[in-house]
Amino acid sequence: MKYKKYETQAYNIHLIKTDKFKTISVKINLKKIFNKEDITFRNMLINILLDSTKDYPNRRLLEIKTEELYNLGYSGGNYNSGEYSVMSIDGSFLHEKYTEPGMNEASLQFLFDCLLRPNVIDKEFESNSFKKAYNVLKEDITSFEDNYYRYSNARMLEEMGKGDKSSYRSVGYLEDLDKITPQNLYQYYEETLRKNLIDIFIIGDIDEAQIKKIILDNFTIKTAKKATKEHFLNHTKFRRRLKTVKEEKHINQSYLSMGFKLEKLTNFEREYVGSIYSYILGGGADSKLFKNVREKNSLCYSISSSLSGISSGMIITAGISSNSFNKTVKLIKEEVKKMEKGEFDELDIEKAKITYLASLKQLVDSPFAIINLYVAHQYMGYDLLDDRTKNILMVNRDMILKLAKKVHPDTIFLLEGGSEDEKDTSL
Amino acid sequence: MKKTPLYKLDLDLYYEKLDNGLEVYIVPKHNINDIYVTYSTKYGSIHNEFIPLGEKKMVKVPDGIAHFLEHKVFEQADGLDVFDFFSQRGSDLNANTSNFKTTYLFSGPDFYEENLNFLMDFVQEPYFNDKNIKKEQGIIEQEINMSNDNPYRKLYEGLYYNSFYKHPIKIPIIGTLKSINSINKEHLYQCYHTFYHPSNMFIVITGNIDPEKTIDIINKNQNKRKVEPSAGIKIKKYDEPDKVVKKSEIIEMDVTVPKAGILFKINFDKLKYLSLKKISNYIIYLCNLKLGTVSLLNEELRDEEIVKDNLNIDVSFVDKYAVLSVIADTDNPKELFKRIRKTLKSIMITEEEWSRFKKIIISNNIRMSDNIFSLNNRIMNDIIKYNEVTINELKDVEEYTIEEMNYVIQNISFENDTTLIINPSK
Repeated sequence: MKYKKYETQAYNIHLIKTDKFKTISVKINLKKIFNKEDITFRNMLINILLDSTKDYPNRRLLEIKTEELYNLGYSGGNYNSGEYSVMSIDGSFLHEKYTEPGMNEASLQFLFDCLLRPNVIDKEFESNSFKKAYNVLKEDITSFEDNYYRYSNARMLEEMGKGDKSSYRSVGYLEDLDKITPQNLYQYYEETLRKNLIDIFIIGDIDEAQIKKIILDNFTIKTAKKATKEHFLNHTKFRRRLKTVKEEKHINQSYLSMGFKLEKLTNFEREYVGSIYSYILGGGADSKLFKNVREKNSLCYSISSSLSGISSGMIITAGISSNSFNKTVKLIKEEVKKMEKGEFDELDIEKAKITYLASLKQLVDSPFAIINLYVAHQYMGYDLLDDRTKNILMVNRDMILKLAKKVHPDTIFLLEGGSEDEKDTSL
Repeated sequence: MKKTPLYKLDLDLYYEKLDNGLEVYIVPKHNINDIYVTYSTKYGSIHNEFIPLGEKKMVKVPDGIAHFLEHKVFEQADGLDVFDFFSQRGSDLNANTSNFKTTYLFSGPDFYEENLNFLMDFVQEPYFNDKNIKKEQGIIEQEINMSNDNPYRKLYEGLYYNSFYKHPIKIPIIGTLKSINSINKEHLYQCYHTFYHPSNMFIVITGNIDPEKTIDIINKNQNKRKVEPSAGIKIKKYDEPDKVVKKSEIIEMDVTVPKAGILFKINFDKLKYLSLKKISNYIIYLCNLKLGTVSLLNEELRDEEIVKDNLNIDVSFVDKYAVLSVIADTDNPKELFKRIRKTLKSIMITEEEWSRFKKIIISNNIRMSDNIFSLNNRIMNDIIKYNEVTINELKDVEEYTIEEMNYVIQNISFENDTTLIINPSK
């Protein structure tokens, strides 16, 4: 595998050459330091860009074109990553040696056109296409509550950090959606191309010179820009007493989401110690939470923890029956406390490391996983493969204990289902 | 061991049938690190009326037992935690039950031999007792509750329930609260001994492995165990009518946007002279062409705001039926159903549409060969659906013709459907 980076004034090109795959995979990322209104704008924008283009003015024609390009796959979305919102367009297509000559260029051009040749008439997005993108997003926002895990986590984050970036719903907001018009969305689009930091990642059995030329010829953005702010979110305020919020719903199961804030993480903790800590606590089927809450007490069907070094937070989610809320929370708190007290052993650490190393090996089998490695390197300065393999082995018990002391329980959200008579009212 | 090249995919398929009847399929792929092993029994949720091994009379066991059994197979006599074993070796262990099969699987780049041996060992030596059955009933009860909260799952389950008279495909894989609670130790052993017989099972391995060594490991492992020969399993056949049970139903749930589904029960018996593989490829393509994102209907429905997002299409195959279900969020389900029916009433296919069909098949096959998980799943599904691995699809695709596609169109009908609407509860 050979990696090369080229910087033009307006964007970076990252080329990863490998003969492992029969496909060529592409990721175009645009990132900006965001505020709440950006989220809905950016969701609208990605919806409309992937629904039609100048040459293929509706979704149907766009999809027919992808079938002609030997079923080229494309998708897109936005995600919040620390201080930044990242808009991504992903594409993957067969290398032309498996299809017909000219397909590499045609496929890349198709993907670039999604971003650079939008369905715009007189400086506004075409109205029918706008309406459809609007409808999809409106429905996504309205039906957000129908996925109970996602909803519970989002509500918990809202209660935990009112007004913080981490509390924003990534799906967007109806009140912001109503402010968007075909005109101002086009202005937003122009500004996005002008000001966002753009990175293009391409992996496959590529001829670097050829691919570079295709990009420079077709990806014609000229505005220069520079990265500014650090990527990570940090917390400074911590709650003394855990905050509990409950909401009722006519469903069978209850959904519990518990949020934690992490204090002053070092970069090594974000990248390595955090993964080991979270794996031991709630990473898999042999984790402390799974063993002691699910298996021993059969309190829930699922339970897991996930720690984000980027936003300095941790979430524990569980699907439970309503009458076991108090007992489940008590056990979760106990398990988190036990981590702080050091009630885990060398074998736990060893298992976590083995899993981490195995996942690194698996990661290089997937083109998009490799791309994501380079994305993390570019955005957060995270290590690449060889350094990761070395550094994870340096994590030790003391480091985990030190991290465990930085974990502050903050907020519990319960989406409460079940029948009236089985509800836990003792709180 | 028999070695066959997978046509135009730069890969070989190794096959061997062991003395005890177990079949092994291996596709080595050396330019990657990972290994994916699946160990399956041709036993799923629909196999619940059968003659147990060594007996003479047909029995009926509780609904959902295949899935229940899958959970319980992880239970070992010495109390050993099976998940621990794999996770300590950086591997992921899992299992799943479908209508047609149950699969135990792991993936991981390291400790291959140990993992493979242990997978066979634990699946072949389960331990059931009343206490661990009781505990499992509690866990599955929560799983059922969770799936009952999922409106899309409710839609699919309801549509199948209202379409089939006798065929057990109408019952959710997981069973019902009532059926789950009636399961006992004897049921489990009866199903286990009948369906987990080596002659009813197969192993598929894809990834960075040596086929000769692999067969050796499996042979040694299997020779440790003595099994009674099985004369083949008698499973009840169902004479299912073409008509659906119930034409329509409306239910209420705590959802924000109304959801609607329509299911077509399509008898393809008249297409006998075509292979099931061809029938399946043609029907799936037709459904996507007429209802998918490339269809005129989908674009029109979105233009007229009858639906906001694309239609969701699923085609599966049950005995002599292709089952097409279409699901969408909509405020106007009646109009949606009307338009779908009208579209399917008169299907035509143009030369231009036909030309894309082959490109899709080529693309799907080559992409599949790049990914050990897709590859393995494809082999498993081929075995279950066609009783053989379709290794030559890139060659076979040359034999597909538009005339044949038109023959399919003329000989299937979309007249038997059922609809289900989920409205928000007040």
